Amino acid sequence: MTTFRKAGVQDLLEGYQRKEFKPSEVVSGTMAAITQLNPELNALLETRSEEVSARAKDLDARMGEASKLPLFGVPIAIKDNILVRGWKTTAGSKALQNYVSPYTGTCVERMEAAGAIVIGKANCDEFAMGSSNENSAYGPVKNPWDSTRVTGGSSGGSAAAVAAGLVPGALGTDTGGSIRQPASLCGVVGLKPTYGRVSRYGVIAFASSLDQVGPFGRSVWDTARLLEVISGYDAKDATSSRGVVPRYTEALALPSADSLRNINIGIAPEWMEGLDPEVKKSFDAAIETAKGLGAKIVEVKLPHAKYALSVYYLIAASEASSNLARYDGVHYGTRSKKWDSLEELYSRSRGETLGREVKLRIMLGTYALSAGYYDAFYGKANQVRRLIQRDFDEAFSKCHCVAAPTSPTTAFRLGEKMEDPLTMYLSDIFTLPVNLAGLPGLSVPSGVDSKKLPIGLQLIGRLFDESSLLQVAHAYEKARGPLSHPPWKGDR
Amino acid sequence: MVSREDVLHIARLARLSLSEEEVERYQKHLGRVLEYVGELRALPQESDALVRHVPRDAVAFRGDSILPFSNTRGSLDNAPALESDGFLLPTVVEHE
Repeated sequence: MTTFRKAGVQDLLEGYQRKEFKPSEVVSGTMAAITQLNPELNALLETRSEEVSARAKDLDARMGEASKLPLFGVPIAIKDNILVRGWKTTAGSKALQNYVSPYTGTCVERMEAAGAIVIGKANCDEFAMGSSNENSAYGPVKNPWDSTRVTGGSSGGSAAAVAAGLVPGALGTDTGGSIRQPASLCGVVGLKPTYGRVSRYGVIAFASSLDQVGPFGRSVWDTARLLEVISGYDAKDATSSRGVVPRYTEALALPSADSLRNINIGIAPEWMEGLDPEVKKSFDAAIETAKGLGAKIVEVKLPHAKYALSVYYLIAASEASSNLARYDGVHYGTRSKKWDSLEELYSRSRGETLGREVKLRIMLGTYALSAGYYDAFYGKANQVRRLIQRDFDEAFSKCHCVAAPTSPTTAFRLGEKMEDPLTMYLSDIFTLPVNLAGLPGLSVPSGVDSKKLPIGLQLIGRLFDESSLLQVAHAYEKARGPLSHPPWKGDR
Repeated sequence: MVSREDVLHIARLARLSLSEEEVERYQKHLGRVLEYVGELRALPQESDALVRHVPRDAVAFRGDSILPFSNTRGSLDNAPALESDGFLLPTVVEHE
């Protein structure tokens, strides 16, 4: 039996159209690969084989629709902070260990309407707070390239599932880099859309002014296809944009899409200082490739981006302290058995079920919003957030997109950064400013380092201009040529 | 510097019970993060502090109409304690 592990979204769609295989065959292969590899990777927390098989059989009977449905029979993993009715949604937290989604998030609803098959819920850092997936109450995800190393986070399960070939595509969420950084560390493509492009309805809130759902794929085309399905206005999300969603994959098929002749790419010298030499080398090589395709490289200035870490942790933690107040042992989760008053019921239930990093961020946010500190911390952070946005506005008057490394390092060892929160936070130094400015960002693999660990190139675009990012990444990907894959262990 | 009392005060505001070991750890970690984010204080006051994060064409207000929700039971069933169709809470007002 083939496991279809190397088949991407586009390969599956073409195969279905040629009637080479049926959804139930793909799903059987996928489930076999998951049974074999997931115990080691810990990428997926829940799979429901009966439901998945029933859904595949239903699609088998609808093979005539294969050319009409944009994700017909494509198995997808969903990060475990996005609701799928009837499935557990734990958000990687013990507080939600028994939570069963009462409804389906809009992004998943759209994928299912497009013919996709939800195959499993992907492990993640608790409430999406983390850069290594080590904050999950259900254990860390192992990097498919080297199982002694982290996947990055917080969408580590989604990135690893795609990298290991358990699924051709997945959804994650990105609040400060949680799609792009694990995509970089696992050697796959990951895209964080513009704030407002994809509905947040049915997504467990972490920091509401920053959270955004986005896709993972093993190619830019696959990622573009997932994005065009999940994007668009949704009345159930008050921050949803009414803007028309371009047909991203159609633009990639145009002959002009292979050239970057009319594209200006900005580089910020501030971001090149003190960079890891291997990451720098890969970045420089990618820029040379872009130049070879006709792109013009321009220098841009992002003088306030260096404050993004401080701004982000104050704003995200403040919003989280409010959003996570709902896990009180009354409406959700587990209620502590030891309490004498209502206040004690709340604090003990929260204290017993929330994890270490989540508690730290709730306390940081509570502190930043408390009387006497609000202006100095939360207020100030918002002012500087505006300055970061202005830097990007200025940069985009000179270029179509800004290029940067996605992560300052490749995948680090499990446990390596767990003792000092700041060392971990620095993993997101190049991705955080993008969320603060609400912009779209994409990570595309640009090579491997001397330890054979993947490196990612980040492209940052203007508001709602995901098209340019996908075009540049697609042209680059073609010119770069195929990359080595993680060891496809156990492939049959 | 964050004192032990600061940690206990914040934990109380956040409704988080902490073990003795956690109090110590958060005193250290919170102190470290607050010291780092203190860098923002040195920046000059900015007058235009209007942050843009909601798309300009997003509609913040929906029509004031009641829409059906298909799975109220499913929402209720996620609570740790229920009584008929309501969340069960401890008695907060004692009567003689």
